[in-house]
Amino acid sequence: MKHELERVEIPGEHEARERAWRVASAAFAARQPAPRRAARRLVAVIAIALVAAVVAAALSSPGRALLHSIRLTIGVKGARPALFSLPTSGALLVHSGSGLWVVQADGSKRRLGGYTSGSWSPHGLYVAATTTNELAALTPTGAVRWSLARPLVRRPRWTGTTTDTRIAYTTRDELHVVGGDGRGDLSLGSAPDLGLAPLAWKPGPRRVLAYALPEQGIVRVIDVDAKGEEVWSEAIAGKVSELGWSSDGRLLLVATTGPNSAAVGLYRLPSRRPVSVFREAPGLVAAALRPGTHQVAILSRPGEVASVKLGSRTIFSAAGDLRGPVWSPDGKWLLVGWPDADQWVFIPVRGGRVQAVANISAQFRSRTLPRIEGWCCAQP
Amino acid sequence: MQGAQAGSTSDLEALFRAYWPRTFRAAYLVVHDAAAAEDIAQESFLAAIRALDRFDRSRPFGPWLHRIVVNRAIDWSRARALRAETELDERTPAAGETGVQIDGGVVARLGALPPEHRAVIVLRHLLEYTPGEIAELLDLPRGTVNSRLRRGLDSLAEEVR
Repeated sequence: MKHELERVEIPGEHEARERAWRVASAAFAARQPAPRRAARRLVAVIAIALVAAVVAAALSSPGRALLHSIRLTIGVKGARPALFSLPTSGALLVHSGSGLWVVQADGSKRRLGGYTSGSWSPHGLYVAATTTNELAALTPTGAVRWSLARPLVRRPRWTGTTTDTRIAYTTRDELHVVGGDGRGDLSLGSAPDLGLAPLAWKPGPRRVLAYALPEQGIVRVIDVDAKGEEVWSEAIAGKVSELGWSSDGRLLLVATTGPNSAAVGLYRLPSRRPVSVFREAPGLVAAALRPGTHQVAILSRPGEVASVKLGSRTIFSAAGDLRGPVWSPDGKWLLVGWPDADQWVFIPVRGGRVQAVANISAQFRSRTLPRIEGWCCAQP
Repeated sequence: MQGAQAGSTSDLEALFRAYWPRTFRAAYLVVHDAAAAEDIAQESFLAAIRALDRFDRSRPFGPWLHRIVVNRAIDWSRARALRAETELDERTPAAGETGVQIDGGVVARLGALPPEHRAVIVLRHLLEYTPGEIAELLDLPRGTVNSRLRRGLDSLAEEVR
């Protein structure tokens, strides 16, 4: 019996061990050993003296460098010190404390301006960007093509072909759709929680938009080409945090958060019954459908460790929070942010070495880890 | 253990490398899900690291760790049994992707047992604890451990016949 139990082949055993060691060693490095009881008083006295010395030292330039190096003890080992290139084609749209940035595949960065959010146009030719009271269309070099003044603009989402596009966005309490040239702005409804609504365009020739009333737990799909006619709706338990479509437009992903309702459901419209539900996601943070497939990456943090799963397979885990995930346009890489390590982590989903880049905040002139707004298509 | 308590990463690594394989395996044999087993084993090691300073070195580390792992694995299996779960029906595994698989033989038959019985069998036959030690690890009367062992082994034997 023992022999048989020991010879069981466990899928991904080696990778699991290395992932776990990475997390355990990071947690060990981050921990502060408790002093032995007898020595505690003496240690307390020394600690007070040291705190003053450390504060003084930290204010000096070498001191700051030391603190910085200690902080980096959490993170992927061997991370590159700067973003020299992306692991695959495409360009990133990034929001940091200093505004909106574009990062090309060769690692070159350009700041577009002090915008609060953004989204790529379908072919990466333009960027829809928002400030608190403005929606603007920009070139990837930051030139403004047009802008609209609207209150509390959020979540622009762009869809269409190279010749005819639409941008969906929300204001304080309204859902709007405007042409890619800035004309024909249309309000498609209002509700108190519409300002926070996640939006997702369905891929395909017709302009079909999914949006959620997050507080009410309602997901609606409307045909914008038919004056916003509702083609599907469903009441969902929990607060809807995220919507997404598979590349073929056949599946709608609905992610909900809440103490007892965190789940990721996949719907094949017009059926109201999900074809799949991932309920084993306590501490669900986010989910994203892999381009070109019906696979779902799920980021959750049930305890002190956050993990990214693809189906039932854990592909990355780390101590503390993770942000994202964002898929590369070719579906071969998954990008997550690791705030405690100030790193971006590029995870190869078909095997290979995880690539990480450190010092991300400083590279985008930010105090916090920048947010990835999108990873767009290969260069047009 | 002493070195790890003093802050030595290499000693912690030695401890991890010595205990991870059986800890992960034990979790896997109870939950029959590689991803869940990884989470359970990993969280158990983190719990151990958090409690490292308070750990009494006169006591063995293994039983302490295994108690955490096996109890978490049982909890996970019970919770999973309560959930109506569906898997993605159109999931196409990427090249090189590993799925969850269970070997045939005894291990497949183990999966048919309730998680509490699996745990007792894993503790006895993989981790080689005595029934008395298992009773202590799982906070169970010794008679319960013996009966679970006997019933578990009987079920396995029936499956074989």
